[in-house]
Amino acid sequence: MTLYTKPKQYSNLREEHRSKYITPHPNHRPPDSLLEWRFPLDAQKKTQSLAVIRQEAACKSIRYYPTFLEHVWNQIRFQPITHWLLQGSLLLTAMLLALYLRRTSRGGPEMLTVCSVFIVFAGNICLSQIARLFSWHMAELEQTLYLNLRQMICIRMLEAGIANLIILVLFILIAGGVDTLGISVSLIYMAVPFLWSDILYLHMLSHLRSIFSGFRSFALGLLCGIISLLPVLWEPVYQPEYLIIWQILAALGTLLLIAEIAKLLEKINQGDTICVNE
Amino acid sequence: MPELKLDRITKHFKNKIAVDNVSLCLKNGVYGFLGANGAGKTTLLRMICGVLKPTAGEILCNGSSITKLDGDYRYMLGYLPQDFGYYPDFTARRYLEYLAACKAIPRELAKEKVQEMLCLTGLESDQRSKIKTFSGGMLRRLGIAQALLNDPEILILDEPTSGLDPKERIRFRNIISSLSKGRIIILSTHIVSDVEFIADEILLMKQGRIIEQGSIQEVTASVSGKVWEYLADPETALRLNDTFAVSNLKNEDNQVRLRLVSDTCPCEGALPVQPGLEDVYLYHFEEVSEHVEHLERRTL
Repeated sequence: MTLYTKPKQYSNLREEHRSKYITPHPNHRPPDSLLEWRFPLDAQKKTQSLAVIRQEAACKSIRYYPTFLEHVWNQIRFQPITHWLLQGSLLLTAMLLALYLRRTSRGGPEMLTVCSVFIVFAGNICLSQIARLFSWHMAELEQTLYLNLRQMICIRMLEAGIANLIILVLFILIAGGVDTLGISVSLIYMAVPFLWSDILYLHMLSHLRSIFSGFRSFALGLLCGIISLLPVLWEPVYQPEYLIIWQILAALGTLLLIAEIAKLLEKINQGDTICVNE
Repeated sequence: MPELKLDRITKHFKNKIAVDNVSLCLKNGVYGFLGANGAGKTTLLRMICGVLKPTAGEILCNGSSITKLDGDYRYMLGYLPQDFGYYPDFTARRYLEYLAACKAIPRELAKEKVQEMLCLTGLESDQRSKIKTFSGGMLRRLGIAQALLNDPEILILDEPTSGLDPKERIRFRNIISSLSKGRIIILSTHIVSDVEFIADEILLMKQGRIIEQGSIQEVTASVSGKVWEYLADPETALRLNDTFAVSNLKNEDNQVRLRLVSDTCPCEGALPVQPGLEDVYLYHFEEVSEHVEHLERRTL
């Protein structure tokens, strides 16, 4: 017993239908002239039409939309090699120094200060790549590109943020042996100098750009590093009773950093400061 | 084909009005913005490029606000700023590749376009040299190359020929002429000869306003009957030079042939002649020129 019968092919059904209902009369055959008839073709018109089509096709440009990751990669690949060398050597030095301090059992404030100073320097090197966008009259030109200045700054800030986060994590791993301090407390101690130096840097960038160039930028970075060394002069600041001050400074710093970024982007949007010729 | 519409554009810088209620409609062709320094040309171009935000008014591209179009507008834009920016430690090739990436040109196509632009601007042999070693003319050519990189539908060139020698200037003019089909090219300059040969339309700007607009024939017709030629003795020539705007002065034997721009006949015997674009410029910007001259004298 077969439970399943193969369905008839559609073409078979069609043939069946044709033979049953629309079989032409055996004597009926269209005249040869009609069978051979074709629409007359105007060769000249055909050539002309094809030429118009080709011309229109040539005018069409296929838009290319790079992905966000492509934009990020483009920003990374055109950063100068010196930037990467500086970041790499700084990170290496910091890690070696932190490891040395850990081995010699000199953790605690010294370790935190070393990490703080180096993370401030790393942050400033990253921010210097944002300052670079404003240098040599490039800002005006960059603002007119598909990926404009605002977007470039956002991408570079993101890159800087990720790079600094990685460095911070590495430092926390190394400084994991900082006495009895937990990871979150170590994070606050390291993040506060970093946040405030970034605020200072961005403030200089958005407000004092006309006097902000070359060596001044370098000097500012150095100053931030020195300021972040201050806690080591007064070790009690790392005592638990002062933690609340560090927490307030961290919260305030985060808010101010966001405000500085927003202010910088708004200034770019207005455009007046971009066109300052210095 | 793009269409740019400027609707009552105004720009204030604190108390100064840089651009005052400018309305324009730009379709494909070469537009030459002529005006003295400080006339508001650069500010207007910066607003068209989206670098500066107008204090009032709106700029529309194909009926949509350029602010709304955002990246889509910038995609069709090529811009050469007056103060051309560059990274001095980049080579010419790397610089163009960087800008090609920022202009959303696919990587494979970017290589071809960069090579093409380097050839077009005659920088092929210097493509591996650092930009900091470039001369003023080479920098300008690099600027032109970057502006043309994305085959822009709207090309804005602010003082493109400053620093170029006559040969380079002619070459540049020919490049612009060959590109003028199917796109808007805006050329801002105070060098009359730059736009005289290639501009389809001339726009004269003075104190932030468009005071004259039209083809070269139309613009020159506006000063018809106000340009005179006179053959004078040196003493009279000196006197006329102090009194009237002189667009040309040529020594001929013991006499001086003067070309004067004046609303009325400057002296008996002066013959009206066909005006040129330089005469138009002088007619409209005479006061400014005098002011600049005065400042120059004071500086000296």
